[in-house]
Amino acid sequence: MLSLPLDILLIFTIVSPVVGWVTPKLYRAKILGAFTSVALLITGYALYDLYLGSAGASVIYLPSNSLIWATLRIDTLSFFMASIFLGLGFAATIYSIAYVKNKAETPFYYTLILALISGMMGIVFAGDLLILYVFWELMSISSYALIALFKEENTSIEASFKYLIMSAAGSATALFGISFLYGMTGTVNFEGLAATLSGTAPTAWVYIAALFIFLGFGVKTAVFPLHTWLPDAYQAAPSPISAILSGIVIGPGIFAIAKIFFTAFLSIQELWAPALAMLSIITMLVGNVTALMQTDVKRMLAYSSIGQVGYMLIGLAIGTQLGLTGTFLQFFNHALMKGSAFLCVGAIIYRLGSRELSDLQGIGRKMPLTAFALAISVVALVGLPPLAGFPGELTLFTASIQADMTWLGVALLLNIIISAGFYLRIIYALVQPISTSKAEQTKEAPLLMLIPILALVFLIIFFGVWPDPLVNFAGDAADALLSVGGTV
Amino acid sequence: MIDLSYYLIFSLSLYILGIYCLATKRNLIRLLLGVEILINAANTNFITFAAYANPGFVDSMGHSFTSVSIGLSGAVSAVALAVVVLIYRRYGTLDADELKQLRD
Repeated sequence: MLSLPLDILLIFTIVSPVVGWVTPKLYRAKILGAFTSVALLITGYALYDLYLGSAGASVIYLPSNSLIWATLRIDTLSFFMASIFLGLGFAATIYSIAYVKNKAETPFYYTLILALISGMMGIVFAGDLLILYVFWELMSISSYALIALFKEENTSIEASFKYLIMSAAGSATALFGISFLYGMTGTVNFEGLAATLSGTAPTAWVYIAALFIFLGFGVKTAVFPLHTWLPDAYQAAPSPISAILSGIVIGPGIFAIAKIFFTAFLSIQELWAPALAMLSIITMLVGNVTALMQTDVKRMLAYSSIGQVGYMLIGLAIGTQLGLTGTFLQFFNHALMKGSAFLCVGAIIYRLGSRELSDLQGIGRKMPLTAFALAISVVALVGLPPLAGFPGELTLFTASIQADMTWLGVALLLNIIISAGFYLRIIYALVQPISTSKAEQTKEAPLLMLIPILALVFLIIFFGVWPDPLVNFAGDAADALLSVGGTV
Repeated sequence: MIDLSYYLIFSLSLYILGIYCLATKRNLIRLLLGVEILINAANTNFITFAAYANPGFVDSMGHSFTSVSIGLSGAVSAVALAVVVLIYRRYGTLDADELKQLRD
């Protein structure tokens, strides 16, 4: 059907509400949490097995006579992205077992998490634009519902609607662009698009299609003028969902833009690369400078995600193998770092009940492990050497010098300095003397929250000290992307 | 056969109409209708291109894309209308300008 890992995940998604019905009400949340974690573990094993079986080549599924079929193209890039989707999804699920209370909505919560992750896996497995669009909508619909689900913040419904309208208009715009690609080539298969469009001189319709597709997928990626939904949505969502949204949901957007632009639109690369470079600089400036002005920690981290999207776009703008390696490396490490940071902030909110930076004063004295993890992830987000943020940023900087676009690397460095301004404010608040009675009464976070946080922090340190396997994996992923268009 | 460019002008103007609707209307339901118009602009394009790809034949890929996207847009509308109902229960209004908690 749809390759083994995706089949397993989709079947578990469909079964999970039934499990929610039949389990006793008292233990429902815990049982469903465990069920979801097991589902993700089994999928992870199936993915690993498929990866070993593929031996570096891409696994291709073509239409067949079975009941459900799809054109899939699973290459190293798919494995690279899917592994971090499953990894961070697993961490957030374990965390949710402690975070989510036993409510009427709880069964839907886990079903939606599974649907969100299967949507993202489907996107990176897709072999043509039809499959990509179907899974794109699966991911989008589950994320709209997840933000509005618990209504724990006053703003969550409003944020969900704002996100929904912007994102649905974005999907429709991308669909409009895809229709022009289809009209020009008669195919929606990535290899077919690359083969048809590479030889011919570009017509005006190629530019129009590229514009619509970039605008459409750019909404989910939060590229500069289309980023306004992001802080509201991340702030209003439950914290584990903020971690998933911020860490990995920007990934499919980056993936879709990279995949389409490096296959169908390679012939007009000299046109879109400078535009993408300018947009990346504006995006990271807007994200980092606005984050400086925030007093709400979750909102600050949300704006810093926009800055990080700017860093990732640099690699796409450079367009060399090294640049793409930097983009994917930065995406992977950002998922670990920002995921861990959002989970830590979620734990602090869970115990303290406030998200204002001024109320966080002295929390490090009461929640030492959480504060330590938050400090490590925040320092890693700045990009200091022995931690995971460093290899990605260094690769992007080296790639910009090698491609004679040093100004892009300098812009990256300047933005890292700006970002240190607000990341370090968080650490500063953590180590202050305790000033409020509320902070006096807080305790360390529950064990089930600490386990995923500390596991992510371990990975941050591990991939910072020994980045070689990850760098090689990201390099293979970049090669796989470039080989679809036939340039390697 | 009618020239292809008329269909393209039609779908582009449908797209612009949808964007105009999203930019100017303040009623939440009307905003949703704007999104639906955008999706229909794309669907029109797919149907047109499917018919014009090979003269005398109809390409099935365009049709399957359209039927899939109609189904998906229905799913999006269902979620969106549920959110609209929640908004109406909480704020008692469907005016987007009244939702001010996020303006800062």
